[in-house]
Amino acid sequence: MKKVLALLLVGSMAVVFALSLSGCGSKEEVMEDITIEPEVVEDIEGVADGDIPLDPRSDDDIYIDLLSKVFADINFEFDQYRVLDRDVPTLESVAAWLRENPDARVLIEGHCDERGTNEYNMALGEQRALAARRYLVGLGIDSGRLTTISYGEERPVALGSTEDAWSQNRRGHFAVAM
Amino acid sequence: MKGRAKLGSMRFSRVVPYVLSAAVLLAVSGAADARDVYLNIEKGFGEKITVALPLFEGAGGMVDASNIRDVLMFDLSNSGHFSVVENLEFVDETEAADRATGSVAFPEWIALGGEILVKGAFEAGLSEFSLEAMVYDLGQGKAILGRKYAGEAGRWRDVVHSLSNDIVALIAGEQGIALTKIAFVSNVTGTKQIYVMDYDGENRRRITRDDLLAIYPDWFPDGKRLAYTRYRNQRQEACIVSVTSGVVQKLTSFPGLNAFVAVSPRGGDLAMSLSRDGNTEIYRLQADGANPKRLTFGRSTESSPCWSPDGRRIAFVSDRSGSPQIYVMNSTGGTVERLTYRGGYNTSPDWSPEGDLIAYTSKVDGVFQICTVDVETKEVVRLTTGWEDKEDPSWAPDGRHLVYSMESGGKSNLYMLDIYELEPLRLTSGGGDYLSPAWSF
Repeated sequence: MKKVLALLLVGSMAVVFALSLSGCGSKEEVMEDITIEPEVVEDIEGVADGDIPLDPRSDDDIYIDLLSKVFADINFEFDQYRVLDRDVPTLESVAAWLRENPDARVLIEGHCDERGTNEYNMALGEQRALAARRYLVGLGIDSGRLTTISYGEERPVALGSTEDAWSQNRRGHFAVAM
Repeated sequence: MKGRAKLGSMRFSRVVPYVLSAAVLLAVSGAADARDVYLNIEKGFGEKITVALPLFEGAGGMVDASNIRDVLMFDLSNSGHFSVVENLEFVDETEAADRATGSVAFPEWIALGGEILVKGAFEAGLSEFSLEAMVYDLGQGKAILGRKYAGEAGRWRDVVHSLSNDIVALIAGEQGIALTKIAFVSNVTGTKQIYVMDYDGENRRRITRDDLLAIYPDWFPDGKRLAYTRYRNQRQEACIVSVTSGVVQKLTSFPGLNAFVAVSPRGGDLAMSLSRDGNTEIYRLQADGANPKRLTFGRSTESSPCWSPDGRRIAFVSDRSGSPQIYVMNSTGGTVERLTYRGGYNTSPDWSPEGDLIAYTSKVDGVFQICTVDVETKEVVRLTTGWEDKEDPSWAPDGRHLVYSMESGGKSNLYMLDIYELEPLRLTSGGGDYLSPAWSF
């Protein structure tokens, strides 16, 4: 038993030593550690304000890409899911098209560039799709006609590790079921 | 440490199906008195016990003595408690002399630097592989373990792993990890599918076969089933796949996200992210996917839940502060406490089997590294270096080893890391990416 404890102790010391060697944690980061207050938040039960539940989807729905300028991709900033001002005209044209085609339903795909971690990108992609959906609901579209899916970083449209490829891959994509 | 074997209490293999039990204990004088042996070899700080591993006696079709020694050497060195006597030429000469005299030349073995000696004989038949091993405490000049093992010929490595685990249990007093498995995702066939391999990277086998994009495997504690997420008909489905039969059973297919299924330590509950209420949140469900109960509330993103080993808490990722950070809450919801403060991108937590640490991925100077945070003190320790991105750590049941993926040259591979020795060992190679590892219980 003593030996095991001793091993553990030495092990921890080795880790701390390795850490100091590796120079992990710049001075700036240490400052940040000190200045941030501990954060304890009580989550309030119940659906949050502004949540718009997704309606159950029919298994028969097949969403296809319409080769129309109406359904241009919208894009996002790195690690963000806020709808950008420059994509508002696209979302307005999608909303207008949905008003003219009252039986159509839209699947909003959320995608990410390769730079984040795989798991977080999956969550981020969903948040991007949900943000676009929320915007369309704000434009008066029935939320039951809008559903979402995240592909995270699984389906890039542009290959390569360039800023141009990344910005194309951070996107919301619209597919339509009639 | 959790899972530490009581000294002197032998463990039999979980995997080898017909290891004979009491009948196979060979006649060893004083074998039951393992406690004395253990104390006798107790050493100073951090030193390892040196073990001499002569080639086992025997022959057979597909396995030779050096294959067996390679497995034992890997298992014992990797356990963190042993160093293997390196001069194999002298080791094998000494063994040859022992065989000629029919005895154990304890002074010779000690002169080679050995403290423990493992001798054995094997038979590699067409259908069965069997092994008989003796473990000697050289200082005391006596045998401390004698045991016979057998298994299917195709699973001879598991038979040898069983011996390794017994040696680790006897000498180090811990349950070894030599029979554990690692589940992961790979795109070697084109589409990402779920695979399982032995903990040392051997015996890789494909588990999902439907060619539907499959991600994020997580073990049920029975070691026979994996929860994961797949894409079918333009939707995500959380599923269970049987590792033995490959049969897939659907858990959830809510509209939106159905991802990051984390099985509770006893297997009775699931935690996962769903977006069915219009936002990405953590839910708790029954093990069959029924009765989802929402645990987090707000407009932020809540993802990647993992359970504490006692099942009472859940760690997860939230961007409620403006950047992804690790948080902890009770597994029934309620108060949420932030754990990580250093760095602006902390994701993919995994809770250690001892409950004290959470391993996670942290962006440090633009590169994703593997770190741990102490759940009580919030002290952060960085475990990896170098410019390559690493992510998705998963703990071995010994609380000492982690497996994670590292991207290099455009390809991701899996690496094993002993957190006390910090020398990563590559487990996968060839033909695609290897991602999202999950170490079995």
